[in-house]
Amino acid sequence: MNHLLPFVLSLAGFTALALAMDRQQRDVIGRSLPRSVTRALRIAGTCALLLALGVLVAWQGWGLGLVIFSGHTSLAAGVVHGSLIGYARKYARSTKHR
Amino acid sequence: MKTKQEPRPAGRGIRQSMSDLHTWTGLLLGWILYAMFLTGTVAYFKDELSQWMRPELPHQVQVPDRAVVAQRIADELGTLASGSPQWGMRLPDARNNSVQAFWRTSSTPGQRGFGEANLDPSTGRKVTSRDTLGGDFFYRFHFQFHYMPAVWGRWIAGVAAMFMLVAIVSGVITHKKIFADFFTFRWGKGQRSWLDAHNALSVFGLPFHAMITYTGLVTLMALYMPWGEQAAFKTQAERQQLTAELSAFIQPGRATGEKVPLASVEDMVWQAQERWGRDNVGRVTITHPGDAAARVAVARGEAGRVSMSPQYMEFEGATGRLLGIREGVGPAAETRGVLYALHLGRFSDTVTRWLYVLVSLSGTAMVGTGLVMWTVKRRQKLPDPDRPYVGFRVVERLNVASIAGLSVAMTAFLWANRLLPQTLAERASWEVHMFFIVWALALVHAVLRPPRKAWVEQLWTATALLTLLPVLNAVTTQRSLWHSLAEGDWVFVGMDLMCWALAVLHAVLAMRTARHRPELQSVRRPDRQPASGVALREGEA
Repeated sequence: MNHLLPFVLSLAGFTALALAMDRQQRDVIGRSLPRSVTRALRIAGTCALLLALGVLVAWQGWGLGLVIFSGHTSLAAGVVHGSLIGYARKYARSTKHR
Repeated sequence: MKTKQEPRPAGRGIRQSMSDLHTWTGLLLGWILYAMFLTGTVAYFKDELSQWMRPELPHQVQVPDRAVVAQRIADELGTLASGSPQWGMRLPDARNNSVQAFWRTSSTPGQRGFGEANLDPSTGRKVTSRDTLGGDFFYRFHFQFHYMPAVWGRWIAGVAAMFMLVAIVSGVITHKKIFADFFTFRWGKGQRSWLDAHNALSVFGLPFHAMITYTGLVTLMALYMPWGEQAAFKTQAERQQLTAELSAFIQPGRATGEKVPLASVEDMVWQAQERWGRDNVGRVTITHPGDAAARVAVARGEAGRVSMSPQYMEFEGATGRLLGIREGVGPAAETRGVLYALHLGRFSDTVTRWLYVLVSLSGTAMVGTGLVMWTVKRRQKLPDPDRPYVGFRVVERLNVASIAGLSVAMTAFLWANRLLPQTLAERASWEVHMFFIVWALALVHAVLRPPRKAWVEQLWTATALLTLLPVLNAVTTQRSLWHSLAEGDWVFVGMDLMCWALAVLHAVLAMRTARHRPELQSVRRPDRQPASGVALREGEA
């Protein structure tokens, strides 16, 4: 399926970008990551998103490629955000029970 | 990107002004915008909805050869609309199992009478199915509403879209930490949660929301801003040329009166298929059929190109000779064509259409959360929460009816499609009347009941209607879910599954609303006042 690869890349990209943020590091991992790791995550995330765009433009041309890229990134960002909320809630509940 | 260190200007400050602007532009036409967003979102599946609403039309296993169909329909129109100066047909495709044909009924220029019919691609005969507007109702409603002249509706839609544009821009300026807070959500923190949800829905879909609002205005720009066009094009001939530049709608010239039968339409469509691909032929327009001056235009389909600019091959009707191929327009017309196409998204394959729908739903939820937030914010400041002021009550009740009530009304429209007797006069209009009657009842209910109960009851009503719709479909038609699954009829399967998915969504919302009370009361406690005041200042958006 041709849509799967760009979507997975967008998902990976936004996951990396989210984990490169201080608040999310504290929420998910429980501590801030070293600056070098954060920078690597940020670069990796950006590259994944650019790669997704590249795949789509190569497949559908610039016009449709950009439109579909916008759709995949919007959805992927929403999915990552939803997962972070779910994770944070689960994590909060388990710490409460402990 | 703006940072926190930015010095605050004296007085109210730009952010505060923008926040107020955002709040009030968002609220004032928010209910209309919510309805436009939701019905518009649904309209991305209008062809599928139309199929579902005409269950008598069999599931299309394979799209028939369009060249053959075009000839068949042209023959049929020869008897159905003989003497008409112009015929048009939208050929069947993967999403349409019938041919939509229209014709001018008056040959006097200037007078605009049209006839239209849904024709069966395999026989050419009029489709015998229940009388319904199908998914086109939602499509038309989302930009011109109903029970009023289309032009009024379009002006209202234009004003609402302009408010939306203002709300988007002012919202971006207000939201000071658009990147820093990108993935932030504070769960169970009352107003902050609403704000975070509203922000998330707005920010993730921001490119789409801005695009859809702006391009929506562009689709009707000739109505909203006609002056440039009026100044530039003064004669009738120039106007016609403009129309030709913007659509594949060839103007009927003057008939000669000499009777010459139409050459093979099949052959003309076949030539277009050779050029653009077998599945990529859209409309066929024929002017003065049967006359020596007949012209045939075969337009390229919309798949795979992000532009609505017309592309067509023009043939001489009497001989079938190719007169010309039009595949490009000027840069200004092309800009419009691209923006128009972005709004409609007709170029989409199935996955892209789903992306459109999902992001558009987030836009709907953005407007909805914005409307609810207006009341959430102000409820904490009410002197007496049990007796709010009139404006607050109006907003609260309108929110219930326009958000939960619209879900009920839209589902009721589909119920009416299955339940109204086939023989009823004006059946298609009655389906629409049912939609508005139910919506009005929802408003009455919202006014009479306490707000929270009204929310919960309407959300549960929507849940019940959505859950039972596939059952109703199974009982009243031959096309139950198991039958559709066996046939591989994904339109009907998808419709049933979507109903249930939306039912779950409404049930979750209903349960959350029902459980919400204790939190509200704790917020209202007087000793919490200072804290919530601080939160309010932070959360202004």
